[in-house]
Amino acid sequence: MTESAAAGIHPQSAASPAPIAPTKIKVRDLHFYYNGFHALKGISMDIPEKKVTAIIGPSGCGKSTLLRIFNRIYAIYPKLEAKGEIVLDGENILDTGYSMNRLRSKVGMVFQKPVPFPMTIFENVAYGIRHHEKLSRADMDIRVEQALRSAALWDEVKDKLKQSALGLSGGQQQRLCIARGIALKPEVLLLDEPTSALDPIATGRIEQLVEELKNEYTIVIVTHNMQQAARCSDLTAFMYLGELIEFDRTEQIFTKPSKKQTEDYITGRFG
Amino acid sequence: MQANVGAVASTMVQEERAHRDARHDRLFSWLLKGCALLVLASLLGAAGATLWGGRHAFGTFGWHFLFSSAWDPGSDTYGALVPVYGTIATSVIALLIAVPISFGVALYLSEVAPTWLRTPVASAIELLAGIPSIIYGMWGLFIFAPFFADHIKPWLTNYLGNKPDDGKLSWVAQHTFVGKLFGSDYPFGASVLTAGIVLAVMIIPFISSVMREVFQTVPTRLKESAYALGSSTWEVSWDIVLPYTRSAVIGGIFLGLGRALGETMAVTFVLGNAMQFSASILDPGASIASTIANQFSEAAGLQKSTLMALAFLLFVVTFIVLLIARWMLRQLAHKEGR
Amino acid sequence: MAGNSSLYLRRRFTNALALTLSTMATVLGLVFLAWILWETLRQGIGALTLKLFTKITAYGEDGGLANAMVGSFIINLIGILIATPIGVLAGAWLAEYANRTRLGESIRFLNDILLSAPSIVLGLFVYTIIVLPTTALTSGNTTFSGLAGGVALALIALPVIVRTTDEMLRLVPSTLREASLSLGIPQWKLTTQILMRSARSGIITGVLLALARISGETAPLLFTAFGNNYMTVNPMDKMSSLPQVIYQYANDPGEAMHAIAWAGAFVLTMFVLLLSLASRLVLSRSKVSHD
Repeated sequence: MTESAAAGIHPQSAASPAPIAPTKIKVRDLHFYYNGFHALKGISMDIPEKKVTAIIGPSGCGKSTLLRIFNRIYAIYPKLEAKGEIVLDGENILDTGYSMNRLRSKVGMVFQKPVPFPMTIFENVAYGIRHHEKLSRADMDIRVEQALRSAALWDEVKDKLKQSALGLSGGQQQRLCIARGIALKPEVLLLDEPTSALDPIATGRIEQLVEELKNEYTIVIVTHNMQQAARCSDLTAFMYLGELIEFDRTEQIFTKPSKKQTEDYITGRFG
Repeated sequence: MQANVGAVASTMVQEERAHRDARHDRLFSWLLKGCALLVLASLLGAAGATLWGGRHAFGTFGWHFLFSSAWDPGSDTYGALVPVYGTIATSVIALLIAVPISFGVALYLSEVAPTWLRTPVASAIELLAGIPSIIYGMWGLFIFAPFFADHIKPWLTNYLGNKPDDGKLSWVAQHTFVGKLFGSDYPFGASVLTAGIVLAVMIIPFISSVMREVFQTVPTRLKESAYALGSSTWEVSWDIVLPYTRSAVIGGIFLGLGRALGETMAVTFVLGNAMQFSASILDPGASIASTIANQFSEAAGLQKSTLMALAFLLFVVTFIVLLIARWMLRQLAHKEGR
Repeated sequence: MAGNSSLYLRRRFTNALALTLSTMATVLGLVFLAWILWETLRQGIGALTLKLFTKITAYGEDGGLANAMVGSFIINLIGILIATPIGVLAGAWLAEYANRTRLGESIRFLNDILLSAPSIVLGLFVYTIIVLPTTALTSGNTTFSGLAGGVALALIALPVIVRTTDEMLRLVPSTLREASLSLGIPQWKLTTQILMRSARSGIITGVLLALARISGETAPLLFTAFGNNYMTVNPMDKMSSLPQVIYQYANDPGEAMHAIAWAGAFVLTMFVLLLSLASRLVLSRSKVSHD
């Protein structure tokens, strides 16, 4: 307890790994409250463009909360409040004037459990696009195919696009959700423990996909699985009790972490 | 630079779309809210319409209306006492019968019955709730009332009532008010008691399904720890389950009462529709709903207004009863932390 | 020691007695169910004839219930057509827009009350707002109508549909809302195109239950649709309905009329029970497909 408090005194120090790419999302002194509970305590970090940033930490540390602020999905629930700055491409997305529509077309999100819409596979991908752009039938077909190809799902579903998405396997559904997200051509992709409901083979495919997608997207992935973070991220942030303890290159975090808490967590001494 | 211009243009398109979405969202939420407010409007409207319709009766008779047993279309004087008494008497009888039986059913279904039997029996009991009330009415009129007149009523009048066939009063009839309650020389099956019994059958599925549902909310550890002390099934049910679920059980009972008070068809068929007051529950009577159903179409002027006034009374009383019921039921939901 | 064992015996006896009584209570309930269904079946099937479905009530003893069945169909249809859109939208408001707000909680509470409000009073309400004004417009000819009957039934169906829609929508996992909103889809589209689609079978169940409920309603029709011995499909006309004719015939002194009433009661009961069976099937199906 005293250790974590001591670590919390210098949150700024955690915000600066050596820059490996231009910053896409700049977080400054971010606090988050729900029903009066102080869930995030002064988070500051720079998330680099077109890299994979993993956020790890024991459950309840606020890692999912942080991710859910990046596209302000928390705003659909009452009594939640975020203070501080999250600067995306030079604009603070927490400003009340910042359009949700714009934010959500720039930042896509994939959730823990696959949540396909109750529609056909094709419609699942087309539905979101149709809301943002008017496309001809042919253009839409191309766009959906691109998205499904990018999500490494095309070959498996190209013959059953008109079937209900609810009939797909869990792993396929999750890749469909990724396809649905990238079909809007976002710049940032948020993945909230995307493989926690999947078997190892499906997990492997998603990780492989993340590796491919980072050429085009800035990816932030929250995971409770440390090996996953080690395998597929460039940077790793370790959070504990609502604070960002350490944020550095992944190999640095996993080989010689600078904080004792990080080391304890990684070596499995708690959490 | 060009990319920037494109970005600005697409930003503007996005802003415009965001505005449109916000506008549509606002209109949609108003539409939905309007529909939801119709629920409120129906309740207010029903109360307002009957109060408005009954204004002549209330104005003419004043407070006296509530306590007068007069019902004379000839002289155009009406009082609410007979139908109000009939409504309350039938409902109270229904509760007296239905509550213990419903408790028994709920107890049987949650503690006694073998597991494989629970779902089919529960569905069968719930089937009772699905039968239209007019079917209860027909069954009551053609089957139950004659059965009652032949097999139950003679026994009650002879052994408990103050008007037995052979003129010999039983001890109970001589010394207690029971004699008045069961005294009757009306030869048919239609009576306040008959209506109460038919109502009881109607509301048993409602009360028992609420009881059964709330009994299932009792934490297993609570019951198990009582069983571990050597308590019997009955003791666990009476000492642990019932106190734990008390407010919801009362809520369920009030829900049944609300149904019974407002029920029209089942009662109208078996109540006899006599507009005079009798202390005996074996005599025919009238309830508010049955009086309205029987007389409204032919009524005019002050009589029609009186019926509206009665409807208003019925509505207000059931509203209060149901309010208590829902509030009591909500208590348990809060306890569960929902 | 003797005291203890007598206490033990008394406790055992109380327990056995209570459990026996509770079993008997259940048996009694089932006896009444069987009794009512058996009589409806026996008397109803005995009186079931072809002319029941072909002839109208104007012929009395020699007639059938054709106009009453058609009338019931039209009145119920009007009731459901009015109540379904309003009820579904109101339920969606409770679940999606007003959940946990003060107004939302109050309306949810009041809706539960409307659910068991006396139907005869709702009938009088519709009489006041539809029959009376139209009567005034047509210079005093009392204008009972199938439409008024339909509106009265809509008021009874409404809270059933509101409640099931509300409950079913609240069962839809919130991840679906988040996923949709994270694509920038506005809430009205989310509600109508995604959430309602996910909860579709539950909402259909609610509509079927509401239909079952209003099909057996008699009291509110007595002074709204009133009754009509002739066949009509014009909703502005007086209209007969199955429950109303059963009520009328059962109160008639003629035995032959009673037989027709029983036959009508049988048809009505079968219809209502089949509906509630169907609604259960729809619901259980949906539970299977969700997993």
